[in-house]
Amino acid sequence: MRASLFITCYNDTLFPETGRAVVRLLERLGVELEFHPRQTCCGQMHANTGFRGEAFSQAKRFVRLYRDTETVVIPSSSCVAMIRDQYPGLFEELGNDALRKEFAALLPRVHELSEFLIDRLGIENVGAWFPHRVTYHASCHGVRALHLGDRPYRLLAKVRGLDLAPLPNVDRCCGFGGTFSVKNAEVSSAMLAAKLQDVVSTGAEYCTALDNSCLMHLGGAMHRQYAGMKTIHLAQILASTEDSPAEELE
Amino acid sequence: MTQTVPSRAATNRVVLDPRLAPPFPQAALPMLRNPQLRKNVAHAIDVIQTKRGKLVAEKTDWQELREAASAIRTHALENLDTYLEEFEARCTAAGGQVHWAADAAEARQIILDLLRQENAIEVIKIKTMTSAEIQLNPFLQAAGVSVFETDLAEIILQLGEEEPSHIVVPALHINRTQVREIFARRMGLKNLSDDPKVLTNAARTYLRQKFLTVPTAISGANFLIAETGSVVVVESEGNGRMCLTLPRTLITLAGIEKVLPRFQDIEVMLQLLARSATGERMNPYTSLWTGVTPGDGPQRFHVVLLDNGRSSILARPKHRQTLKCIRCAACMNACPVYRQTGGHAYGSVYPGPIGAILTPQLMHMEHAQSLPYASSLCGACYEVCPVKINIPEVLLELRAQVVNQERKQAVRFLDPMYLGLRIANLLFAKAWRFHAAQWLGRIGLRLFTRKDGWIHSLPSTGAKWTQTRDLRGLPSQTFYDWWAAHVKETK
Amino acid sequence: MSAPALFRQPPSPQRVMGRISTATQSVANGIAHVADAYAALPRTYIRRGQLSTEARIKLMIERLREYDADVVESTPQLLPASIASQLALSGKRTFAAPVGLPVAWLADGFDWKIDNGLTATEIEQTEGVVTAAFCGVADSGTIVLHHSATEGRRVLTLLPDWHLCILRASQVVETLPEYFSRCQQPPALVTWISGPSATADIEMTRIKGVHGPRFLHVILVREQL
Repeated sequence: MRASLFITCYNDTLFPETGRAVVRLLERLGVELEFHPRQTCCGQMHANTGFRGEAFSQAKRFVRLYRDTETVVIPSSSCVAMIRDQYPGLFEELGNDALRKEFAALLPRVHELSEFLIDRLGIENVGAWFPHRVTYHASCHGVRALHLGDRPYRLLAKVRGLDLAPLPNVDRCCGFGGTFSVKNAEVSSAMLAAKLQDVVSTGAEYCTALDNSCLMHLGGAMHRQYAGMKTIHLAQILASTEDSPAEELE
Repeated sequence: MTQTVPSRAATNRVVLDPRLAPPFPQAALPMLRNPQLRKNVAHAIDVIQTKRGKLVAEKTDWQELREAASAIRTHALENLDTYLEEFEARCTAAGGQVHWAADAAEARQIILDLLRQENAIEVIKIKTMTSAEIQLNPFLQAAGVSVFETDLAEIILQLGEEEPSHIVVPALHINRTQVREIFARRMGLKNLSDDPKVLTNAARTYLRQKFLTVPTAISGANFLIAETGSVVVVESEGNGRMCLTLPRTLITLAGIEKVLPRFQDIEVMLQLLARSATGERMNPYTSLWTGVTPGDGPQRFHVVLLDNGRSSILARPKHRQTLKCIRCAACMNACPVYRQTGGHAYGSVYPGPIGAILTPQLMHMEHAQSLPYASSLCGACYEVCPVKINIPEVLLELRAQVVNQERKQAVRFLDPMYLGLRIANLLFAKAWRFHAAQWLGRIGLRLFTRKDGWIHSLPSTGAKWTQTRDLRGLPSQTFYDWWAAHVKETK
Repeated sequence: MSAPALFRQPPSPQRVMGRISTATQSVANGIAHVADAYAALPRTYIRRGQLSTEARIKLMIERLREYDADVVESTPQLLPASIASQLALSGKRTFAAPVGLPVAWLADGFDWKIDNGLTATEIEQTEGVVTAAFCGVADSGTIVLHHSATEGRRVLTLLPDWHLCILRASQVVETLPEYFSRCQQPPALVTWISGPSATADIEMTRIKGVHGPRFLHVILVREQL
C-alpha cells in the first residue's frame, strides 16, 4: 500500500513530531510513504478569512501536485474538510472544467488519518502502547464536516495501557477557529476557558485530538496556566510503542 | 442567598442598531466581563438544549422533517412572487387589507397612518422581532401612541429599558432578582418576592385591563399561508391570543419571506419549531386566522409586508437560504460563541449565527461587517437548524464580500492581518519561499522564545494570541527537513 | 422625518414585487409550473402513525396529563353525568358555553352563559367554559379547535380560567399530518392548544397560566363499537 503524506503547512512548521509519528506509524503498518517536496498549504486559512482568490490559487496548486497520486493522507481534519467541502465550490466558481474534473477524480483518494487507518487499511489495532490517562477532544471539522463518528474512539480503544477519560461536552468547539483566535481573541479565550475546564475536570494527563490546531490552542492555555496537563496529537499516541514510546521523541 | 444586583438604570444602554453598534470583538467585551450575564445565558441555553436533545432523539423522522422543511422553504422563496400575490389575493378576499413596505421607514409610516385612521393613542403588541428590526416602538411613542408590550419578556425589557438578547427568550440574560427589581421599581409594587410565579402573576394582573380595553393590536407572523391568505402565530403565554381576538383592529407586520405555499405545510413546520425553539413537542398556543371572521375577533385586519433588504438577499442564489429561517433560535442555543457573549454583542435584534448572516445582508453589507467573523465556523448551528440553512457556507460568502470591500480601501495597508495573509499567499505559492519564510520565522521568533522553549508574548497581531495563551517556540527542524534526512538514512 | 402628505409617495407594491420577481428570475425560468414543483417536494417524514387505537388514546391521555391537564374517560351515555361531575368538582358556578353546545351537556345546577354575543366583560366574569373540539393529536397532546358552533368563538376559550373540553376518541389522531389530512379544506380559524399557557421567560422556570385558562380538563369519550 502506497500513500503520500500531506503534512499541512502548520504541522510542517510547528508540529513536525506529529509528522514523524505518522511516518513511524504507517511504515510500521507496512505502508510505503511518499512526501511531495513542493507541498505547502491547502488554502484553508485564506478561504476561511474571506481571501477567496488567494485560496483558489492554493487549491489549484494542491490539485496539480497530487492529481496523479494514488492516495493522500492528511493528519488534520480541518484541512481535509477544506478540500472536501470548499474545493468543489471553488472549482465551480473558477469555471475551469479540466481542473474541476481532475479534482473530482482526486477527491475520493484524499483521507484524514483515522479514515485512512480504518477505511483504507481496515485496521483498528495499530499495535500502540501508551500507558496514560487520556481524554479525547472531538474537533469540529472531524465531527461535523468529515463525520468521523467513532473512528478515533475505536483506534484509542485498542491502545494498550491507555485509560480513556470521557470529555464532558466533547463536541463543543474549543474556540480556535483559525484566524478567529486572533480576530476575536477575547471570545476565543472565553470559549477556551470553558473548554479547558471540561478537559481538566477529566483528571487526564493528556488531551488528544486529530487536529493540532485545537491542541495548539488548548495546549497554549494549559502551559500558560500551569494546568498540569499536556496535549498530544492522536498520531503520536498511535505511533507510541514500548520500543519507541511517544514522550521520548517529543 | 443574597446577590448584589447591578443597578440596571446605571448600565449603559446597549445599542441594537447595526449602523451604530461597535464591532463584535469590542461589543463582546462587557459581556465577557459579566459573570452574572454569562451564567444566566448558559443556564437558559442548557435548559432548552437538554429538552431539545431528548425530543429530537425521540422524533425518529427528525431528519426527514428537516429535509421537507428545507425544500418547502426553498421552493417558497424561489417562487416568492407567485406566492405573495396569491397570499394578497386570498387575504383580501377574506376581508384583510394588504400593504407593502419597501423599507423600515415605509413600514413605520404605514402602521402609524393605520393607527391614526383608528384614532389610536394606545396599542397592545405581541412580541415581534420584525417590529424591533424597524424600530417601531420609539417611532410610535414619538408620534404620541403608547405602546404596551404584552409578552412577559418584552414587558421586562420595556420596563427595564433593556434590549432583547435572544429571539425566542429575549430576556434570558436577566435573572429573577433583576426582574423583581424592575417590577418593583416600575410597577410600584413593594414587597414583591423574586419567585417567578409571583412575578408572572404581577405581569398578568398588570396586563388584564389592557387586553380588555385597548382596541388596536400589532402582531408579527410566524407564517403566512399563500393558499388561504391565513396568518399563523406561535406562542406560549396567551397574550398573543388576547391581542389577536379581543381588539377591534389588528395590524400584522411580516417579512415577505414568511410565506408558505399551503396550509398543509404547517404540519412540517410546527413539528420542528417548538422542539427547536423551546424544547417542547408543541408550544401551548398556536393561532391561525384568515382575514376577518364576522363575529369572531378583529373586524379590521391589516397585513404590512416588509421587504427592508430581503429582496436583495433573495436575488443571490447562495445567500437566499438565509431567508429560510423560521426564527426558532436553535442556532444561537447551539452556538459556543453566543454562549459566551450573549445576544447584545451582535448589535442587532437578530443575534447569534442567524444574526451574523442576516444582519449584514439586511444592511446591504454596509454595516455589521464584523458579524460574519463572529464565528469559529464550528458548524453546530447548521447541525441543529430545522430548515437546514448552511450558516457556515453563508458566513464564508459574506467574509469574501467583506474582504473584497477591503481590497478597494487604501487603509488595508495598515491592517496587519490583511498584509499577513496577502504575503502568506505569495509564500505558499512556491515551496522555496515557504521554506525560506519558515527559516526566517524560526530565527525571528527565537527573540521571543524563553528558556523553557515557549513564547509568552508577541507583538502586534501576535499579542492577540499571547494575551491568554503561550505558543511553543518553532522547532529547530521542520518536517520537510526531517523527511529529507530520513529518506537519506533509510536508503 | 415624514414628508407632507401631498408629496409622500404611496407605498409601492409594484416596487417590492418588481424586486422580488427580478430576484427569482433565474429560478422561475427553469421551472414552468410552480404547482408541479410543489408537488415534487420530498415528504418522507412520518404521515400516518403506527399505534393501535388503544395505544393512541393512551398516548393522548398521557401527553395531556404531562401538561397537568386533568383527563377522565367516559362514554356517550355517561357523558352528561361526567360533565356534571367535572363541573361540580371545580367548585365553580358560572360557565360560558358555545352557542351550539349540545343541550344535554348543560348540566343542571350551574349558571350557564350561552354565547349569543357575550361581551368580553361578560365572558371575563364567568369562571369556566365547556366546549367540544375538532381533533386531538396524541403525539403532542394537542387539542385542535376550529371554533365551530360547538367549540365556540376564540375569546370563549381564552378569558375563562377553567376549560372543560369534550374530546371523542374517534377525533384523536396520532400524528400532526393526520390532523391535516382530516381537514377537507383549510379552516379559516384554528387554535392548537398544547397544555395551559406558560412562560419560561424568567430563568427558564416554567410558570403555568399567564394568560389563558390555567386549568384544562378533558373528558375523553370512548364510543362503543
